[in-house]
Amino acid sequence: MKMKKAASLLLGASVLAGSLAGCSTGNPAGEDSTSKNGTTTIEFWAAPNPPQQAYWKETAKAFEKDHPKIKIKVSPIKESPTSEASIQSAIAGKEAPTMSENINRGFAAQLAESKAIEPLNKMKGYDDILKSRSMTDTIKGWKFADGNQYVLPIYSNAMLFGWRLDILKKLGYNEPPKTYSEVLDVTKKLKAKYPDKYLWAKPDLADPTAWKRWFDFFMLYDAASGGNKFIEGNKLVADDKAGVDVLNFMDNIRKEKGILTKQSKDPFETGLGIFTDIGPWTLQYWAEKFPEMKYNKTFAFSTPPVPDGTDTKNVSTFADTKGLVIYSSAPENEKKAAMEFIKWVYSKPENDVKWMEKTNLPPARDDLATNDAFKEIYEKNPALKPYAEAIPNAVPSIDNAKYNELQTYIGQYAVNPVVKGEVQPKKGWEKMKEAIEGDLK
Amino acid sequence: MRTKNNNGMGWLFASPYLLYGLIFFLIPLGWSFYLSITDWNLIAPVFHHVGLDNFIKALKSPGVHAAFFVTFKFMIVFVPMVIASSLIVALVVHGLPRFKGLFLIGFFLPYLASGVVSSFIVKGFLSYNSPVNTFLRGQLGLDINWLGTPLSALLLVAVIIAWKFTGYYALILTSGFESINQEIYEAAAIDGVNGWQRFWRITLPLLYPALFTTLILSIGVTFGIFTEVYQLTGGGPNFGTNTWQMEIYKQAFQNLSAGYASAVALIASVVTFISIFIIRKFLEMWGKRNGWT
Repeated sequence: MKMKKAASLLLGASVLAGSLAGCSTGNPAGEDSTSKNGTTTIEFWAAPNPPQQAYWKETAKAFEKDHPKIKIKVSPIKESPTSEASIQSAIAGKEAPTMSENINRGFAAQLAESKAIEPLNKMKGYDDILKSRSMTDTIKGWKFADGNQYVLPIYSNAMLFGWRLDILKKLGYNEPPKTYSEVLDVTKKLKAKYPDKYLWAKPDLADPTAWKRWFDFFMLYDAASGGNKFIEGNKLVADDKAGVDVLNFMDNIRKEKGILTKQSKDPFETGLGIFTDIGPWTLQYWAEKFPEMKYNKTFAFSTPPVPDGTDTKNVSTFADTKGLVIYSSAPENEKKAAMEFIKWVYSKPENDVKWMEKTNLPPARDDLATNDAFKEIYEKNPALKPYAEAIPNAVPSIDNAKYNELQTYIGQYAVNPVVKGEVQPKKGWEKMKEAIEGDLK
Repeated sequence: MRTKNNNGMGWLFASPYLLYGLIFFLIPLGWSFYLSITDWNLIAPVFHHVGLDNFIKALKSPGVHAAFFVTFKFMIVFVPMVIASSLIVALVVHGLPRFKGLFLIGFFLPYLASGVVSSFIVKGFLSYNSPVNTFLRGQLGLDINWLGTPLSALLLVAVIIAWKFTGYYALILTSGFESINQEIYEAAAIDGVNGWQRFWRITLPLLYPALFTTLILSIGVTFGIFTEVYQLTGGGPNFGTNTWQMEIYKQAFQNLSAGYASAVALIASVVTFISIFIIRKFLEMWGKRNGWT
């Protein structure tokens, strides 16, 4: 009887263990994955969108032809519920890949703090990559507070503001305004001629979600402060004058009834608002959904407006940029193979050309606007040129592990109440600083 | 010997559920208790024990305070709304001469609809430049910020969830109506009871078992609201729709504070347990007054 019981328990346990083992997908962390014939297989998680998937699969195949001893398994990062959460779960479950892309600087800071990713600058071949890809200037802004570089930026969307040029022309302007007072003049003329239209129709302005600050506050703050850092290490080093200027600018537009924060559908495309942040990814979307949106006819780009009296050339802006990381849990041979792959990809400008053609995302290169290899792309799609030109002045996101909380405070205490007229800009700025400094202690 | 065999068989048959409970409930619960006293972020290889710091921080947090009050505000709005609407549907369907099942299926369908999809539709429907709002502004001069104020956002989310659950609860209430003996109504009619008295004095008390179930279920729903809030308001404006689940999600998956999120989840489960316990006691008292033991 006892034997029977023990046998049933053993059977049950084996079935359970078998089914749980079936859930496992990869090599346990740290284990050497070189096969008997000397082939190293690395797992690469790419962004889940089809153009990026296609690019990495093709590139991996081409690399494997040149390097028969390295195999690259490209698969999409699961977004359940977010790509960051999937990566976290994979690390916690010791199932992290060798490398992945789509990592922003804030998330990288969280990973770096937990020693989950490698400092790339300490790996062999890193300097060669920077030189061969011509990214020595672009990478400067990516240095983390501890002096290391954990992410190799793939693309850099130097964010620009889009203006409805057709409506601006009806108001008597031939090009977008550049300074705060010029923007206010546009707002006044707009409301006088079209009371139902708004300068800035964007529900996100009233939403405290952290990442939304990249596309309003940080664009304006980087421009107003000349790219001054907001947080350095664990210290708030924000330029107070620039911060309050930005909030005053928002408040002044609100006072002119130029801001709409209610939910609205395609406000810029429908002309309900005439000013909004635009990333290069939008161009492809417009080509499919809004073919009537024509560059330099219906819309134009400008760098973020700046306070009066500030130089309007070489204006800084926020860089929506993501890059590659190598996970610390991967075995040494896989890390080396991953570095080999990165070196190979970025030693050839044609790989970046292919990337840009497939994704419309500007590669993070210093010479993007000047390198002849990209000339044809700008001829085909001139709207991408301003993005390439803005890359050297683009500032990546903050590298603090608490970036999510900290950026939420910017919305919660400053931007959101200011655009709703609930707080004076200076007071809002002070409250935001208090909250951020309290959290950084 | 026979009893021993029977016990063994009992354990064997219960083992799938026991294993399931152990793996998916007890172990995670124990893990959650453990995480709540650490500052773990799901990634770090080292755990730092922080004692009760996470609980103290949570009890002082505006997000947790909001979650506590928002849940009860939802309850006050949502429970009467969904009970009233499901009672109306159940009464109408119960009175139908035929095709009752077909109509019930029709009302039940929203329950199967994805919260994400319905939230997207509502968002589009109520956007500033939607035909509805353009009409309201143009013809009636009404400029409503549907999701922009805490009260309207809360009401809107409550309406969407009530729409989703009405058919499901109507199904339970219809079976309650079916179980009421018709002779009682006939006797009441002879005694000259009017429709109003009939509903309040006969139908509602006799519907108690079905009402009890729907009330407890709907109260339970208010502690688990997430999808609609996540899609429509993100917990805003000004924490006006910040539910427990929203707060836990934000802490765990946006701020990556798994330890703190576990502490919030444990506080939420204690609040849920106590609230449902108290409400259940009140409902049982009401049942006893009407002869249900």
